[in-house]
Amino acid sequence: MFADGLRRALTLILRGDPEVLGIAALSLRVALVATALACLVGIPVGFLLGTTRFRGRRTALTVLNTMLAFPTVLVGLLVWLLLARSGPLGEAGLLYTWWAIVLAEVLLAAPIAGALTAAAVQGVDPRVRRTALTLGASPFRVHWVVAREARFALFASVVVAFGRVLAEVGAAMIVGGNIRHHTRTLTTAVALATSQGDFALAIALGLVLLALALTVNVLLHLLQGRGDAPGT
Amino acid sequence: MLRARDLRHRYGGRVVLDVPDFTLTPGTVTALVGPNGSGKSTMLRILAGVEPSDEGTLELDGRPVRTPAERRAMRRAVTLVEQHPLLFDMTVAANLRDAVHLHGEAGAGAHARIAEVLDAVGAGPLADRRARTLSGGETQRVAIARGLLLAPRVLLLDEPLSAADRVARDALGGVLDRLRAAGTTVCFSSHQLEDAYRWSTRLFSLVEGRIDGVTPENLFRVDLPPGRGSRTVQAGPLALTVVTERHGPAIVAIPPDDILVSRKPIASSARNQFAGRVSAIAEDGRGRIRLVVDAGTDLVVRITPAALAELGLQIGSPVVLSVKAMAVRVF
Repeated sequence: MFADGLRRALTLILRGDPEVLGIAALSLRVALVATALACLVGIPVGFLLGTTRFRGRRTALTVLNTMLAFPTVLVGLLVWLLLARSGPLGEAGLLYTWWAIVLAEVLLAAPIAGALTAAAVQGVDPRVRRTALTLGASPFRVHWVVAREARFALFASVVVAFGRVLAEVGAAMIVGGNIRHHTRTLTTAVALATSQGDFALAIALGLVLLALALTVNVLLHLLQGRGDAPGT
Repeated sequence: MLRARDLRHRYGGRVVLDVPDFTLTPGTVTALVGPNGSGKSTMLRILAGVEPSDEGTLELDGRPVRTPAERRAMRRAVTLVEQHPLLFDMTVAANLRDAVHLHGEAGAGAHARIAEVLDAVGAGPLADRRARTLSGGETQRVAIARGLLLAPRVLLLDEPLSAADRVARDALGGVLDRLRAAGTTVCFSSHQLEDAYRWSTRLFSLVEGRIDGVTPENLFRVDLPPGRGSRTVQAGPLALTVVTERHGPAIVAIPPDDILVSRKPIASSARNQFAGRVSAIAEDGRGRIRLVVDAGTDLVVRITPAALAELGLQIGSPVVLSVKAMAVRVF
């Protein structure tokens, strides 16, 4: 059955099946937007927690690390309650739109970006900061130098956040509703096709999911390679 | 110009620095001498403004440094080269360009001076090397060049000679001479008294977090005759036998702890014996006795209180000082 499914899946992909392409495009869009927003929030917060000393910092780090283990369906439920017509943000009418999925994924991925960033900058040699300071750098440039030193680990946090978002299914199902042409992502579509017994479609979508993950990671890797030798 | 007042700093509850007042005078080369762990690195980091002290204030040009803007202005004026300096993961030349970029106001001519400062520390051939493939000594020299490039008003060097070979020492000596001539204020730390004597114009000791002025005691400017090994030179009124491979102008020092005091001449292996009279007796604050003996010129001698009592010394007592030729230091 798997071999048959695989053969039909390859046909679907190679023929450029519009259904498969549409789902893949939506998934990519959701994943890229959610990863960008999650990093926009998570990386500065992680940076702050990793580089500055203030009261409650340890507590904040513990909370952040706990959020890594948040069940995705729980986040889906919280966002659903938030966006439901009777909820605090019900007016916006976002429930069962791809923005609802983005919101849920940001809540899941931002703690990952934050916690990994905090760990990355905490691991930077303390001399890096002192060197930047003694060279007379402005506070912003001191942070920039620390980030530059931790760039590989920071890239890793982006990659992990993207992986989480792309592979997530529970929250996307709850807040998106798996509506065809609107909120059907690769993962929710795989779940549906499997439950309907359409294994060829499920395998095809699964392969596309893997291919997308591979492509984005290769691109990030190339980007990282270029950042390997700053200023030379 | 750069002054620290009422500095106190603790690590894990232990006071590691206690400095009521310390000033770096413009145009001087100040040496901080002390054993490892005496607080030299902490002192320099605090002076550089890269580590805050628990208590105390820094003053730049008579004005206290308090606000973040004032602290940054101070860090632009003061550059620290750490004992194990960090270079960024790029080429040596790129590190220097990066420093100019980070500093922001190092001056338009800074880029043009990169080759010059690298040559000054004998690191010219390293310009295109990846900085993190350099040896410890090379890294230290490049970091000093990076400090010079920013032309700070105060340059702080933490153990700049610790990883230096002979070539690096000579290069650094030349750099310090030029900095002094240019009016740059320099403060360096060393655990070697010889280095401190040789390169500094002012000398302080830092022991267990406390700074004391060290009077360069029993120092004589001499002209060493050509030759090798044991030689006798005229050190002021004293004919002094020394052992050295050097010749030409030099400074010799008789360490106050290495002088033997007796009431009468003694038969010993010591090549140098000088007769004199005790002209001052004082406690040195560390439980030892500081004697000044007039032997044609004043010589400072440190002995224990027990020795003082046993010899029954008083002001005016005639004494004989004995010093091994090997104990006389030549700089």
